[in-house]
Amino acid sequence: MKILKSKGHESVLAPIWNWKITAFAAALLFFVGILAISFGPVSLGFTEIIKTLFGLPGGLTGQDRTLLIDLRLPRALLAALVGAALATSGAVYQTVFRNPLADPYLLGAAAGAGLGATIALTSAGANLYSLLPIFAFFGAILAVLVSFFISGKFFAEPNSLLLSGIAVGSFATAVQTYLQQRNSSSLRPVYSWILGELTVANWQVVTWSSIYILIALIILITVSKQLDGLMLTDEEAYSLGINPNKLRVIAVVAATLATATAVSASGLIGFVGIVVPHLVRGITHRVTNRGLLTIALVGASFLVLADLGARTLLSPAELPIGVITAFVGAPFFLVVLRKKRLVNQ
Amino acid sequence: MFKVKPALIKVVVATLAFSFLALNPTQAATAIPKRIISLSPSATEILYAIGAGNQVIAVDDLSNYPSTAPITKLSAFSPNVEAIMNYKPDLIILNADATKALEVKAALEKLKIKVFLERAPLDLKQAYLEITALGRATGKISGAQSVISDMKIKISAAIKKGKTSKKITFFHELDNTLYSATSDTFIGKVYQDFKLVNVADKAATADSAGYPQLQSEYVIKSNPKIVFLADAQYGESLETLSKRAGWSGIAAVKNKNVVSLPEDIPSRWGPRLVDFYEFIASSIAKVK
Amino acid sequence: MIKIEDLNVRIGQRNILTNINIEIEDGKWTCLVGPNGAGKTTLLKSLLGSQAYSGSIADSGVEVFKNHDRNVAFVPQHPQIPIGMSVSEYVMLGRSKRDGWGNESNKSRNLVADILQVTGLFGMQSQFVSQLSGGEMQRALIARALVQEPTLILLDEPTSALDLHHQIAVLNNIELLKESGVTIISTMHDITLAAMYAEKIVVMHQGKVLLNGTSDFVIHSPELKTAFENRINVFTLDSGRPVIVAKKDLSN
Repeated sequence: MKILKSKGHESVLAPIWNWKITAFAAALLFFVGILAISFGPVSLGFTEIIKTLFGLPGGLTGQDRTLLIDLRLPRALLAALVGAALATSGAVYQTVFRNPLADPYLLGAAAGAGLGATIALTSAGANLYSLLPIFAFFGAILAVLVSFFISGKFFAEPNSLLLSGIAVGSFATAVQTYLQQRNSSSLRPVYSWILGELTVANWQVVTWSSIYILIALIILITVSKQLDGLMLTDEEAYSLGINPNKLRVIAVVAATLATATAVSASGLIGFVGIVVPHLVRGITHRVTNRGLLTIALVGASFLVLADLGARTLLSPAELPIGVITAFVGAPFFLVVLRKKRLVNQ
Repeated sequence: MFKVKPALIKVVVATLAFSFLALNPTQAATAIPKRIISLSPSATEILYAIGAGNQVIAVDDLSNYPSTAPITKLSAFSPNVEAIMNYKPDLIILNADATKALEVKAALEKLKIKVFLERAPLDLKQAYLEITALGRATGKISGAQSVISDMKIKISAAIKKGKTSKKITFFHELDNTLYSATSDTFIGKVYQDFKLVNVADKAATADSAGYPQLQSEYVIKSNPKIVFLADAQYGESLETLSKRAGWSGIAAVKNKNVVSLPEDIPSRWGPRLVDFYEFIASSIAKVK
Repeated sequence: MIKIEDLNVRIGQRNILTNINIEIEDGKWTCLVGPNGAGKTTLLKSLLGSQAYSGSIADSGVEVFKNHDRNVAFVPQHPQIPIGMSVSEYVMLGRSKRDGWGNESNKSRNLVADILQVTGLFGMQSQFVSQLSGGEMQRALIARALVQEPTLILLDEPTSALDLHHQIAVLNNIELLKESGVTIISTMHDITLAAMYAEKIVVMHQGKVLLNGTSDFVIHSPELKTAFENRINVFTLDSGRPVIVAKKDLSN
């Protein structure tokens, strides 16, 4: 059924999404990954590294090989996973809450994870240190659930969920501070956890975190195209074939899963969730959520590079990775705010 | 099935056991580490005291004693596995309080580097055990034993010197917001050896690690006879204390028994612990 | 035909719509008029299928609630304006009903280009939607509805925010849909405009339908005056066009 007869000329509209960009982001990640595992206080030959990775003869042996395979490689992989998780869930939250300043931690997830970690470190008796990631994970999830529960009006007003997230976060932080005061030996470990650290990543961490993060990312990228509908009012979205409430729930649940896993594996790494989505949208001049896969890939590259900096800038000391992302993120954030003012004029 | 003489079996087993032992010598006879990295200031002091100094190739950035130790930028609290590996060490003394200490240990052991996990002792007895363990790990057992006996002699001498029939209350100040250390801490136990009464003990339940924050009112009320300033290096002194509201009336301030503790010595539990004991003994002597 | 039987809509504690029984003809332009609070927007949302109701709304015999088999375009009064989205991207969203989300065919891109021309937005295709003026925004909304190629289009106050010139332009664009047999249902404050474009008018008052009939019939009816509490005057121009204005003296 035609409204108008198409004139049959070549469309002069630019395509909404160019998949070459995504391919480029994937290639970038691969390149950055090779770069990351090639550098560190111990110098390893580049050709030897490549040979070792592809199982060719003439690769590294002994301690050097262990260093590459059991230390640098899992660390780079973890950085990629966490970066992808945070960037993607930040982008999704920005769409769902129609707020370009949203980040993956805003529903109280960060404070909840911090409280969980503190409980693990301060519980008398059992050495719960090895269970810290589990406590952090459930702390994050519980905080978000409580925010939902308190808010109740999520479907009518997403912003009320934001507010209850702030309240839940403040409460969790207060409890955390109290526990730390009563157990001063936890101050140093909690502080360094909060700063975010990928140090001494190992294959165990990479395995379990990759399972959850990849599940969440697959879900989000599958629904990414429909997420564009959430940028409109509910009736408009409905008319275009979307069930906005159901979509919001799926998106928030998957994004929270990704965030909680990232936080429990690597502590609180900030700014990735805000900076990377805007970076990709700014460069491609597109806000469509078809870019979610690209955002995930760029987020991965971003954090792998940041981790490289954390390892090498102050060698042999380690800069906490949260410091680097903040250094890059804060000025960038200010630029985004300025742009937002311009765009809304 | 043929019958084997029981005696023959015993001989075979004994031979196997003996050859096994001969080929795999016991712990005591394993190679002595010659490329030690110490990531603990206290361990550094001990290593040099027990005679293992020439086995040490690098120490962390806080290990400033003795001054001859090869100090590097390696961090005691945020160990960097790769940087450590670069030195090609054969033994790492790692502080159990370091960030992710257990993961660091696992990573180093995967790289086939031995790790000695050093735990901060809770009291003097544990300190001696740690020193002995370090001696064993570095092949300087006799050196460790002589350091320990030397410490024992000097410490009991100091305690005897500081003995007094008077009940002396004291306040150990960690910072100017009045954090203190109870008798549950290592340093608290040192004071306890002198039968000094720690005013912070009333607040023992406030912090599980033994470092509560006291209220100014409370310190004034308990009227300590000595104040030990661990924050003297940050500018606190008798002058600054007397300026605090209500503090000029405290016995320690009135009688000028405010003692500035030297840097580092109270936080190291190696041989210089003796210096700390002697320091406290002379401070007590000044209290009339 | 859309058949509404015993429609009741309750939101929270309030009855928004009460016992509505009307029929809406296909292919015609029906306009809902009435004062604020009459329930016009709620009826529109119920016709969309996103608003829960008791009773029945059957479009060609099929109940509309949560029925995504229909192709219905919805043009809200206050749209959510996405930040950083270009006009062409925004209008292209309308094709997701036909193409599926995230796929744009060349046919779609051609159609969007044509519609942008027709609505005068082609030159602004790369501008951000958030930078459009009120009139341009309204045209973008219409354009998006047009590219959807719907069978039914629901418009909530499509002209309230516009100046006279743009009001006519937008309504003319909507009128084009009639050529393709699209059913048009709109709500409008300006009854004069409603009379100009709509074939059928439904008068609503406090959640009830007072009258449903042809424009001429309804304009001159006493029910229209009742709905507005006798605060309107109906004049007829020489050409036969009715003009409805509010009385200056509100003391009836």
